[in-house]
Amino acid sequence: MAEVIQELNSELARLSRQVHASLVRVESGRWGAGAGTIWHSEGLILTNSHVARSRRLSVTLPDGRRAPARLLARSRDLDLAALTVELSDLPTIEIGDSGRLQPGHWVMAFGHPWGVEGAATAGVVIGQGPELPDRPAFGRDWLAVGLHYRPGHSGGPLVDSSGRLVGINTIMVGPDVGLAVPVHEVKRFLKHSMQRAAA
Amino acid sequence: MASVVEGISNELAGMVEAAGPAVVRVEGRRRLPASGIVWSDDGIVVTAHHVVERDDRIGVGLADGKQVEAELVGRDPTTDLAVLRVEGAQPSSAMSAQADDLSVGHLVLALGRPGRTVQATLGIVSALGTSWRTAAGGTIDRYLQTDVVMYPGFSGGPLVDADGKVLGLNTSALRGVSLTIPSLTVDRVVESILSHGRVQRGYLGVGVQPVNLPAGLAEELGQETGLILISVEPGSPAEAGGLTLGDTLLTVHGEPVRRLDDLLSLLSGELVGVEVLIRILRGGEPGEQKVTVGER
Repeated sequence: MAEVIQELNSELARLSRQVHASLVRVESGRWGAGAGTIWHSEGLILTNSHVARSRRLSVTLPDGRRAPARLLARSRDLDLAALTVELSDLPTIEIGDSGRLQPGHWVMAFGHPWGVEGAATAGVVIGQGPELPDRPAFGRDWLAVGLHYRPGHSGGPLVDSSGRLVGINTIMVGPDVGLAVPVHEVKRFLKHSMQRAAA
Repeated sequence: MASVVEGISNELAGMVEAAGPAVVRVEGRRRLPASGIVWSDDGIVVTAHHVVERDDRIGVGLADGKQVEAELVGRDPTTDLAVLRVEGAQPSSAMSAQADDLSVGHLVLALGRPGRTVQATLGIVSALGTSWRTAAGGTIDRYLQTDVVMYPGFSGGPLVDADGKVLGLNTSALRGVSLTIPSLTVDRVVESILSHGRVQRGYLGVGVQPVNLPAGLAEELGQETGLILISVEPGSPAEAGGLTLGDTLLTVHGEPVRRLDDLLSLLSGELVGVEVLIRILRGGEPGEQKVTVGER
């Protein structure tokens, strides 16, 4: 009985373990801590701009390794920040295609809600696009998800049903609704800021 | 090989895709637009009464992106439903389920289209029950409560089952929880509004309050309370039928009236124009009056 649900449960647990490896904790001096997502194995970490507010940043990996982090780029409009740490061979997460997400698709988010390390929350995509009821339109896309974001989720990964990264957890807009920055906006941010850094 | 979670994820998105074309945007208030459902192939769109704050200049955004003007056919505040007519609106092929096999715990999706695209939230059926009455006096054929999130602008949109079929219309206005007005009720209200322009309700013109009956009579009738008349409107059907202040109603049309709800349930549209026998208690003596039910 309930074989599908049991199978679903073990898959979700496996998926959570897999994603958890790429979830970090970002400490931001007196501003407290949030979450972050490993983007590149050679030390590139993505988080929210509102998480990386201090000059003294440090990153803690799930295996306990801890290192000071340097701010590479940030965008307050997109609420994104790129950090770099002097650590290598980091477990990365497969980057998904947020543009293909449809309302109803399953998603899971990871972070440290209220300081609980590596907690998971799940739900479905409500919708995405530049115009969402709770947000003024800025000409950039949001991803609205029906799950339970709490303080401490910010900067952590939002993944699809295959465990691929589709967004960065950003804001809660009510007890059961969260907004994430979709991965295609993250790519745009990285491209833009790397070009600027090179120029 | 596709995993279970991928399969479920794609099926959920498929449910949205199946029902999504029938979900429209309804612009009938100054704040955020709400949602509606294309109900039949003659361009009938149903939505929630409370999101249509004006009677004209109502805009409807169709799934194909077209923006059209809708005519307000009528509304029934008692069930929080409004009926619009829209040229060119096409219902989805996956419409209206009676959902006799719906159970507490089943997965359901709420859909809405407050913006350009369809949106969805997931939940389970929290509670099912028999017919109930809204605070405004409307009869809802089945109690259907879910834990889906009513995202802003979701009122008026459909609740969809695992087959992608529409179980009813979601509203956040009737109670503080996510409730769905079942398709059966929507069908009934739409039919009534299309033929009468409104939902007919019986009317007596009395104000009542429950009172305890004398012990002997209570035992004889198997009914502990009746409804005492605390007001009778001048010129009302009740006055014309000879009811006066202080009469206690015992039965109406053969049905005991113990509480206000009993009387309200009896005064459906079907009794309009019908002469009903009302058993009363007047000055301690049982009596009978014949009253022709009016309409309001």
